[in-house]
Amino acid sequence: MKEAHIGTFVRSAWGLITNTIFSTIFAGRYERGGTAKRARVETFARFAIALLATVIYLLPLFWMVSTSLKPQSEIFQTPPVLIPEHPQIDSYRSALGLPTDRPELYITGALYFKNSFVIASSTMLLTLVLAVPAAYALSRFNFRGKTTFMLFLLVAQMLPGVLLVIPLFVLFKILGLYNTHFSVILADTALALPFAIIILRTSFMQIPDALEEAGLIDGATRLQVLWYIILPLIRASLVAVGVFSFLTAWGEFVFALSFLAKPELHPISIGVFQFIGMYKTQWDTMMAFSTLVAIPAILALLFLQRQFISGLTSGSVK
Amino acid sequence: MAFQSTADNIKDLKASFSRGKLTAYFYLLPSGLFLLVVLGFPILYSVFMSFQKYTLETLVSKQTEFIWLKNYTDVLSDPAFATALKHSLVFTIASILFQFTIGLGLAILFTKAFPMSNIMRGLLLSGWQIPSVVTGTLFLFLFNLDYGLINFVLTSLHIISEPIGWIVQSDTALTAVIIANIWLGIPFNLILLSAGVTGLPEDVYEAATVDGANGLEKLIYITIPLLKSTILAVLMLGFIYTLRVFDLIWIITKGGPGSATEVLPTFAYRLSFINFNFGRSAAVSVIMLLILLVGAILYLRAIMSEEKL
Repeated sequence: MKEAHIGTFVRSAWGLITNTIFSTIFAGRYERGGTAKRARVETFARFAIALLATVIYLLPLFWMVSTSLKPQSEIFQTPPVLIPEHPQIDSYRSALGLPTDRPELYITGALYFKNSFVIASSTMLLTLVLAVPAAYALSRFNFRGKTTFMLFLLVAQMLPGVLLVIPLFVLFKILGLYNTHFSVILADTALALPFAIIILRTSFMQIPDALEEAGLIDGATRLQVLWYIILPLIRASLVAVGVFSFLTAWGEFVFALSFLAKPELHPISIGVFQFIGMYKTQWDTMMAFSTLVAIPAILALLFLQRQFISGLTSGSVK
Repeated sequence: MAFQSTADNIKDLKASFSRGKLTAYFYLLPSGLFLLVVLGFPILYSVFMSFQKYTLETLVSKQTEFIWLKNYTDVLSDPAFATALKHSLVFTIASILFQFTIGLGLAILFTKAFPMSNIMRGLLLSGWQIPSVVTGTLFLFLFNLDYGLINFVLTSLHIISEPIGWIVQSDTALTAVIIANIWLGIPFNLILLSAGVTGLPEDVYEAATVDGANGLEKLIYITIPLLKSTILAVLMLGFIYTLRVFDLIWIITKGGPGSATEVLPTFAYRLSFINFNFGRSAAVSVIMLLILLVGAILYLRAIMSEEKL
C-alpha cells in the first residue's frame, strides 16, 4: 500500500469505466454473438460501472473514517495513506472532550451531543404528537379546505430555512424563547411536520375503514380505536417518521446558529466549528466528530431504507 | 373475514364521516395552529418586514417605519444582489444537471439485477440522511490544498498539473461547493428516478431491442418521454431544494472568499445577522420565495398530472 497506491488504482479504475461505458452504450451495435453472451457482457458491464460508482461515491465517507483513525503524521503524508497503518482512537476521545495526552484545548464535545440529542428527541416527539391526528383526519374525513391544507403541506416542505429564521428570531426574542432549546425544537418541528403528516396519511389510507367501523360498533371511541387498533398497525411508518424527524433536527444548522448564542446550548452542527482553525485545524479530531455525527444517519438508513424510500417517493413524485 | 365490509356498513361509514366533519377539524387543530404560528406567521411577517425600515434599533425600540418598496429598490440596485442571484443560478443549475444525470444513469443501471446490485444500490444511498454539517467539514478536508484527497487524485490522473486551493481561491470556490452539493444530492435523485424507471413497461424495451435500438436510443426515445412528468417533478424539487441551500455553503466557505460563493440564502442571512438590516434581508427572502413559488407551481402541476391529490 506504500508506492503502488491510490494513483495506480485510480488510473486503472478510470480505464475500466471508460471501456465499460462505451461498450454498454454501443452494445447494440457491435454485438454479433448470441443473446446469452450478450446478456453476460451486459451484466458484467453493469456490475463494473456500478462498482466504480459505488467506490467513488463512498470514497469521501471512507476517507472521513480513515482520517479519524490516523495519527497526525499519516494525515499529512504524501502520497496519502488509504488505511491507517498505526490506528489511534485518541481523536474520538478528544472529539468527546475526554482527557487525552495531547496538548489540545478542551472541547466540550459530549455536551454538543447531549444538546443535539435533547433537541432531536423532543422534535421527534412533538412532530409525532402533532402529525398523527392530522394525518388521521386527512386520511379519513372529507371536509372543506382539505385540498388546500394538503397543498399547504407540500409547499411548506419547500420553504427555505433562511426565510423562516429572520421572523422567527424576532418572534422568539419577543416571547423570551431566544437562547433556549425550545426555540430550536419548535422551528425544527415546523421543518419535519409537513413531511411527517404526508407520509403518515399515506400509511393510514392503507388501513381499511372497516377496522374502525368494527371498533366503533363495539362501543369504542374514535380516539380509542386510533390508539389501540390503528396505530399498532402502522408501527413501521411511525418509527420511520420518528427517526426522520429526529434526523432533521439532529443535523439542523441555521436555526441553531441563529437562536442559540450561549456556547453551552450549542448542538453538534455548531460545535463542529470548534475544530476548525483554533490554531490549526485538528483534522483527525474533526473527522472523528463528523463520523460520530454521521452514525445515527447511516444506521437509520441501514435499518429503515425501505420505509425511507417509499416515504420519499410517495411524498413527492407519486 | 370478520372485518369484511358490506355495502351497508360502507353507507353507515359515509354517514358517520359526514357527521365527523367537526371531528376532522378537531384532529387537525393542533398541527394547523402550530404550522400557522411557526410557518404561516414567519412568511407573512417577512413580507411585512420587507416593507419596513427594520434594523437592530427597531428590534429594541419597536418603532417601525413603513418605507414600502424602498428595500426592494435598494436590493435590486445592489450589485451584491446581482452577484448572489447569478451564483445561485449557477450553483442550482450546475448541481441539478450533474445530480440528475448521475441519478438517472444509476437508476437505469440498477433496473436489471446483477451480482451485488442490491448491496451497491444501498451503499449509494448511504449519504442520503447525513447532516450537511458532516458533508461540509468532510469536503473542507477533501478540498484541502496540501493534503486534500481531491488534489491528489486529480494530479495523479494528470487532470491538473499542480494542487489547487479549491476553497481559498475565488475562481474555484463555487465549483468546490457545487461538487460537494452534487455528492449530497445523488441519493435523492437516484431514489426518485428509480421509482419512475422501475415502473416502466418492460415490453417496450424488448420491442426496441428487437428493432435494433442501442442503449442511448432507448434512453432518448423511450425512457425520457415516458418519464416526462416524473423527470419534471424531480427537476423542480431539485431546483427548490438546491436554491435554498444555506448550511453546506456557510460551513465550507461562508459565502467567500470575497463573495465568490455568495448565494441568495447566504446573502439574506448576512444582511440580517451580520449587517442587522432585517428589512432589506426580508426583501431578499421574499424575492427568493417568489422564485421558489414558480418552481413549486411547476412541480405541483407535474405531480397533479400523474395523480389527483
